[in-house]
Amino acid sequence: METQTRVIGHRTPRVDGEYKLTGKADYTVDWQAEAMLYGYPVPASIAHGNLVALHLEEALAMPGVVEIFYDGNFPELSRSPNSMAHQDQVSEVRLPFEDSRIHYAGQYVALVVAESFEQARAAAQAVRAEYRQDAGAIGSLLDSEADGQPLEAKRQVRGDADGAFEQAPVKLDQTYSIAAESHMQMEPHATLAEWRDNRLIVHESTQGVIYQQKAMARVFGLAEEDVEVISHYIGSGFGNKLFMWPHAVATVAAARELGRPVKTVLPRQQDMTCGGNRPASRQRLRLAADEQGKLLSIHHDSATETSLVHTFVDAIGSVSPSLYACDNVAISQHLLEVNHGTPCPMRGPGETSGIFALECAMDELAIALNMDPLELRRRHDSRDDPAKGLPWSSKHLDACYDSAARRFGWARRDPVVGSMTEGDEILGWGMATSSWFAGRQPCAARVELRADGSIMAACGTQDIGTGTYTVIAQTVAELTGVAIEHIEVRLGESSLPAGPLSGGSMATATTLPAVAKAVRAAIDELKEVATAENGAFAGADPETLTLEDGALLDEQGKRASFSEILTDHKLGSVNGDGDTAPGDERKQYSFRSFGAHFVEVRWDPGISRIRVARVVSSFDIGRAINPATARNQVEGSIVMGIGMGLLEKLEYDPRDARLINNNYSDYIVTCHADMPEIDVELLDNPDYAFNEFGARGVGEIGLTGVAPAIANAVHHATGKRIRDLPITIDKLLAD
Amino acid sequence: MMEHSETRSQGSGETTVNLTVNGEPCQLTLPPNVVLLDALRDRLGLTGTKKGCDHGQCGACTVHIDGQAVNSCLRLAVMCEGRHITTVEGLASDVGLHPVQQAFLEHDAYQCGFCTPGQMMSAAALLEDSRIADDDAAVREAMSGNLCRCGAYKNILSAIQDARRHVSPQRTEGESP
Repeated sequence: METQTRVIGHRTPRVDGEYKLTGKADYTVDWQAEAMLYGYPVPASIAHGNLVALHLEEALAMPGVVEIFYDGNFPELSRSPNSMAHQDQVSEVRLPFEDSRIHYAGQYVALVVAESFEQARAAAQAVRAEYRQDAGAIGSLLDSEADGQPLEAKRQVRGDADGAFEQAPVKLDQTYSIAAESHMQMEPHATLAEWRDNRLIVHESTQGVIYQQKAMARVFGLAEEDVEVISHYIGSGFGNKLFMWPHAVATVAAARELGRPVKTVLPRQQDMTCGGNRPASRQRLRLAADEQGKLLSIHHDSATETSLVHTFVDAIGSVSPSLYACDNVAISQHLLEVNHGTPCPMRGPGETSGIFALECAMDELAIALNMDPLELRRRHDSRDDPAKGLPWSSKHLDACYDSAARRFGWARRDPVVGSMTEGDEILGWGMATSSWFAGRQPCAARVELRADGSIMAACGTQDIGTGTYTVIAQTVAELTGVAIEHIEVRLGESSLPAGPLSGGSMATATTLPAVAKAVRAAIDELKEVATAENGAFAGADPETLTLEDGALLDEQGKRASFSEILTDHKLGSVNGDGDTAPGDERKQYSFRSFGAHFVEVRWDPGISRIRVARVVSSFDIGRAINPATARNQVEGSIVMGIGMGLLEKLEYDPRDARLINNNYSDYIVTCHADMPEIDVELLDNPDYAFNEFGARGVGEIGLTGVAPAIANAVHHATGKRIRDLPITIDKLLAD
Repeated sequence: MMEHSETRSQGSGETTVNLTVNGEPCQLTLPPNVVLLDALRDRLGLTGTKKGCDHGQCGACTVHIDGQAVNSCLRLAVMCEGRHITTVEGLASDVGLHPVQQAFLEHDAYQCGFCTPGQMMSAAALLEDSRIADDDAAVREAMSGNLCRCGAYKNILSAIQDARRHVSPQRTEGESP
């Protein structure tokens, strides 16, 4: 089913662009309410122990201080049931100030509320706490010998991996580790809470207005309709704004107790400490092959972190049974409780970490086999999903390998370590496979065709910067023929028809079918009006009418715009509602996106400087609804992947488990000057088995595979196999 | 403690400061520990300028003070007596978007948009600064105080180089800002 499109699949400037470029976009941190107070949390300075006493006298006497909340001065609330199925999942089930126990450094011990930001901050710094510190705080899984508890639910077995490994002539057994990472989204977590007549209005920088609405309702014992969560613009969230955090609960409670709106914006230090992180991981990979390079077994045993106040499982082994054809696979995972802020999903959660280990191991296996690493992967490209035994809906990984390898010049690679030089620099060329699952969620949407010729589309999802406003406008434009500038898209309010989280790269494939259904329902309504008595097409069969360029058209060529029809009938609008959910397609196919990264690093052996110089990538992501925003997503993911590969590490002091580098100077992210040449290609193979627009989502896949491609390139340049991210200069200097 | 780098101040007493913001004279009476960024956002309602770190590390708060790009989180408002301040709200003119804004729109030089005001203020200043060479490496270096976690750097660079066609450098060699 190949259809010609006029707007979908074409580069379209963001419909919210001008708001973002002129300072008019209303992010959560920008909102102010009348008589608003400012909240500022007080973080615990120990990671493990008990709060013994809080000395508040000095702080309470300071100018502008209205109240200080803490264990002992905080209302009784209910924990959220924390259910994905019921959409009330939270980031920490423990409520703020629940007891005196301290589980990690930075945990809030108090919330100061004052008339101004400056007053709240000054008073928060004047709060004195006494602690009883317990021994044995664990700052990182990577400082611990222990792996924690085994997770039975994450165990997967196919064939006889142990037997195959035992018998195989070529074996690899290596352990890889990744430091905890910080999301570092530019807009910190922020809440503005306002109670009006026992109704709660929360402005929250969130990736899920509906989830936050439901979680708030559970915690404060309210009917869902009495909670409104608003998030029109989000200064991004890379997974850490999916589910509600304690700062939001504390702020809402403070606003209720004080009878005034309260706004809390986490200072960056606290945002990094207790606003989520990608957990550190340790992964043992065992691969076995025959002498011809056939993969005989994959063992992927991993351990990840969670905190003591919440169970978060980063699904680190989930892609390994599906990435390559292999008969014998065994996956296991352990979970260790550590004394730092609670981990949560971070862009490409689980699979990004898992693919790092698997793709480094594949490179090492290729070297052991004396085989080209690309060739090893090509031989195991599978037409079916080996984990499910179902055919892939649409898979063009081979085309990704071909195209990216050709553009990169892979055929010119000399496999001898350190053999490719340019001036004083040694070039390293490495590659890796990239992949991310394709999912869809239930979704509702509403569309209004209005008498003034404009169209409004509404959905209770949100745009975190991926371009959701724009792809919805494109969809409406495509189906109605109305120009983009006459289409208004409303998102980011929990009172709108329930839409999905902006997570899992699922928003596009989830929302567009619902919006399309709502558009068609509105058009049907319009036809009913137009064919009724006194209508422009009175007596005509609605089935014979079509909508083109915003006008109804009959078979004789008679036209009437929807604006004229509505005006003639004195109607302000006709409306359509659309509800969609994934169907039976998952019984027939397995859905996943694929890609390939080829990376060139340059290493100056004199000073051991390593830089990524070039990244060439191709992706099979179905159809890109908007090639401009889709490409931007992938390029941005590659930028983040360079950080993961070379720069990023949350450093917890091994002595007391406190986070050392909780700021933008000491936790290093990729900046302008780090930018390599980036060449991204999006193949255009619409996946119509997945949804009518053929889109599989593009927000995360670009990150998977970047770090291992870098690590493999680093080995090719330096001969050093660094199995521990990030690959910093000290590791390259070590013998 | 976690907030070790922040100063402790109770801010007793208030001070009056006169500024020109986006061409409009304005007088503010505020405690001396209010930084320019918070004065613009909380007291003047100019929320286009963003706070990403409050420590001069991310560049989201970049504004122009007398034409120079500055991290507004590192200036106390009371230090700006008599200064001309331009924020993102003052970047466009009656004739439309500033060439940098127009180029950001056309090149999709943003995603979430939160760092964007700071990116554009730095870009607008560097295009007028003849001391900064016009090659890509020089622009990347000059822009490296503005972090973009969405990673839209490639498009930001191409937008700046495109906008260059419409902006003529004003500050010349050796001239102090």
